[in-house]
Amino acid sequence: MNGRLIVGISDMKISQRPEDVLVTHSLGSCLGLAAYDPLARVGGLIHCLLPKASSAGVANPYMYVNVGVPAMIRQLVALGASKAHLAFKAAGCSRMIHIANQFDTGAQNLAMLEALFAKNNVALAAKDVGGSIPRTVALRMDTGTFVIRSQGKEWQI
Amino acid sequence: MSRREEIIAKAKALPQMPSVVQRIMAYLGKQDADVNELAKLIEYDPGLTVNVLRMANSALFGGCGQIATVRDALFRLGMKRVYQMVIATGIAPRAKGAVKGYGLAPGDLLRHSVAVATGAERLAQALALQAPPHTFTAGLLSNIGKTVLGEFLAVDAAPIMERAAQDTISFEQAERRYLGIDHAELGALLLEHWSLPPAIVLCVRWRLDPCSAPVHDLGLDLIHLGHVMATMSGIGGGEDGLFYGVCQESIERLEATPEAMAAAMEMLLGDLAELEPIFLQL
Repeated sequence: MNGRLIVGISDMKISQRPEDVLVTHSLGSCLGLAAYDPLARVGGLIHCLLPKASSAGVANPYMYVNVGVPAMIRQLVALGASKAHLAFKAAGCSRMIHIANQFDTGAQNLAMLEALFAKNNVALAAKDVGGSIPRTVALRMDTGTFVIRSQGKEWQI
Repeated sequence: MSRREEIIAKAKALPQMPSVVQRIMAYLGKQDADVNELAKLIEYDPGLTVNVLRMANSALFGGCGQIATVRDALFRLGMKRVYQMVIATGIAPRAKGAVKGYGLAPGDLLRHSVAVATGAERLAQALALQAPPHTFTAGLLSNIGKTVLGEFLAVDAAPIMERAAQDTISFEQAERRYLGIDHAELGALLLEHWSLPPAIVLCVRWRLDPCSAPVHDLGLDLIHLGHVMATMSGIGGGEDGLFYGVCQESIERLEATPEAMAAAMEMLLGDLAELEPIFLQL
């Protein structure tokens, strides 16, 4: 049976079940990052609210890009995924109209992810970010397909 | 009759707030309103009493589980604060349904409204400011115009959204071009028609664009940034997404920092988990 696992805001889910679909709704300036290893058939989806945890040892690491994304990767590797095979796809990071750069959480979320990946020599396979649209995203565990829905339209990256 | 006039006329024909809330509002309009009488009026309605106590005991309102009676709530949190809770319980049920035309599932709009209200309160705390007593209720009522347009008047937001994207304008500017009125102005007209306090009406009217408001108001600036935080977080968001402007002047007046906004957004999710079930069952 098709299992929809809903990833809330500041939440993360991983799965090894091909019948699962990991879904997160209504990404605004938040980052939605999917990771999928096609060989190990392991994948995860995280929905980060903010770029950076203000202190170490936060109650919920998935709220932040800088600690949540590494935590997701560690869990995927523990389930048999290989860092070399994981494909990462990012969505969200939208911005409000006329928002000043220092308050543009979407841009900061993306910048934090890119800095994290650059430091660890990880490539982003695809991204659909920015603009002012809301995005609902889904990662299919049988194929690794990453689907984005917004304003009545649907596309894959 | 223009589309604008037609929308306003239909909105004003909507039923008013529950009678207990109207009675309490009328009582508080009296010069000699007294705390004990107010407590009696609230206690007359068991459902209202339970909801006021649940709200008063939430972490956000500061009761922390120690407020046992309406009198306690009135003495410890103040008459104005409790009055705001009463209004909130009267209006919240209108915002919990689906708003199909605006792409909102059941509970979405209420979730967004609670996030605006709590975001404004939490930002005030993060900035060491005292949020005016009307702030929370104004936040909670901020989307009432959207409920009216999308649910009761069955307006379809899709062409409005297309216009916003095409003309690169905000959603409320597109509403004005398409409908002759935006949901903020309609909401404010309705609340004014229901005789809600002018401070609340002002916040609802200008929360999307406080830069254009005729006066500056601390509550309004807080509500605007509550709306910004709730919208960026995608909490209860619809198809209109982030197609809204940010008023830099509000940020400057509050001396808001990115760190304070981030701190408020962190708190917001916990508050929402606590308060949302209270409002959803109203």
